[in-house]
Amino acid sequence: MLVRDDLCTGCGLCEPYCPVGAIAIADVAFIDQDRCVECAICHRSGVCPVDALEMPELTWPRLVRALFSDPLLAHPGTGVLGRGTEEMKTNDVTGRFRPGQVGVGIELGRPGVGTSFRDVEVMATRLGALGIRFEPENPVTQLMVDDAGHLRPEVLGERALSAIIEFTVPEERLPEVLAAVREAEALVDTVFSLDVIVPDPTRRGEEVARLCREAGFSVRPNGKTNVGLGHRRGGEGGSGPGSAPSAGGAGG
Amino acid sequence: MTHTLHRQGSDDLARDYVVLVMGAKGFTREGAAPALRRCLEVILRHHPVNWGDGRTGNTFSRSREEILAGIGDNSVIHGVFTDPDTVARVLADLKELDTGMSVVVSGLFDRVHPCVREAGLEPHTVEFSLGVHGRVERLPADPLVVQIHTMCGHGMVSYGLISHLAGEVAAGRLSADRAAATMAANCHCGVFNPRRAEALISALARRQAVQPSGSGRGTAAP
Repeated sequence: MLVRDDLCTGCGLCEPYCPVGAIAIADVAFIDQDRCVECAICHRSGVCPVDALEMPELTWPRLVRALFSDPLLAHPGTGVLGRGTEEMKTNDVTGRFRPGQVGVGIELGRPGVGTSFRDVEVMATRLGALGIRFEPENPVTQLMVDDAGHLRPEVLGERALSAIIEFTVPEERLPEVLAAVREAEALVDTVFSLDVIVPDPTRRGEEVARLCREAGFSVRPNGKTNVGLGHRRGGEGGSGPGSAPSAGGAGG
Repeated sequence: MTHTLHRQGSDDLARDYVVLVMGAKGFTREGAAPALRRCLEVILRHHPVNWGDGRTGNTFSRSREEILAGIGDNSVIHGVFTDPDTVARVLADLKELDTGMSVVVSGLFDRVHPCVREAGLEPHTVEFSLGVHGRVERLPADPLVVQIHTMCGHGMVSYGLISHLAGEVAAGRLSADRAAATMAANCHCGVFNPRRAEALISALARRQAVQPSGSGRGTAAP
């Protein structure tokens, strides 16, 4: 995001809108381009009385900031708005997470701190060392250059409001994964929000929650529930709780 | 995206539920727009306190007509409710509609799961939040600021804005409901709960009136 110095009056109205504190006010507004994650909320809010905020046309790799920070952009690789992954929201149709498995999501930078892609790589490679398979329909995975979790080198110096690392493992590997997350926690220079996805929660929810607590993680009382209404047209599929879809419905 | 997960709060979470509807890429998304529109019309019949579409915006930033006209196959529809009984009725109506779209409810599990079963459904998949980790000292010291912020999972309601608006409310220059509406407009998808936000910003303003603070942010990010 840029400031039109010829229009800006230095009123400061835009400054609190920035989620990463990239705007400073002197005679005019100044945007720290290293901190700016191109989320566009300062511009989109309409708070500037003189329309002095200007969205430049972004090119790669700078564009990666907007793809991960601007909720209005659909990620080109997944077609999904926002952070660009369907994860469990459509599991009743996709079967991405099947009984006996759990999904894990690590959203670096959230809530409200932001992250470098270098930190995303630190976390991803720690998990990649476990031999896990990252979710293909995920924007971070689509930045990876290998199965170990290394990212395209040109994005490492870029920043985003948040980025989600996403993968699925057999339920019995969850303690090992959570231990690795704990180790990586000391290595990243940001915050991250952690989640675990459980198919067939009526049968497996309590056990998975127990595994999380034994690994030293509290399970919050509020979360998300896919209610199982999704199904493919013509009455096909329509899986029961946590079950895989009918033939031809590969997950992810 | 996990934009309706990780909502922080206390007892007021009992008045915070988000219903989300979307299609699945490669399965039910292609050609989903009419079905999503019908689902949104169901949601609207039950008077959500906020609603919207990730493609277009929310009721605090766009008109009803603009949002409905903008629905496309990759729309993600949202409605925010403040009681589980209404959520149960929404789910029953969506079940009867039977569009094949996927539906997710965010909220307290011990309130949501009875709603799901009351609608004749069974929880298919859940997502647990295991909280925030890493450099947590960078978060605002006042938990109310974080509780307001986390109602927008895309982070569009900044800590700085929350603290600024609380200061305006404390100074009597802005009402709490106008502050909530300002924040809700920023949360593009329409998952921000303006009723909760109004109560929280009022509480934050009372604290600021007693003890004026700065941005409310902890140690700045690098």
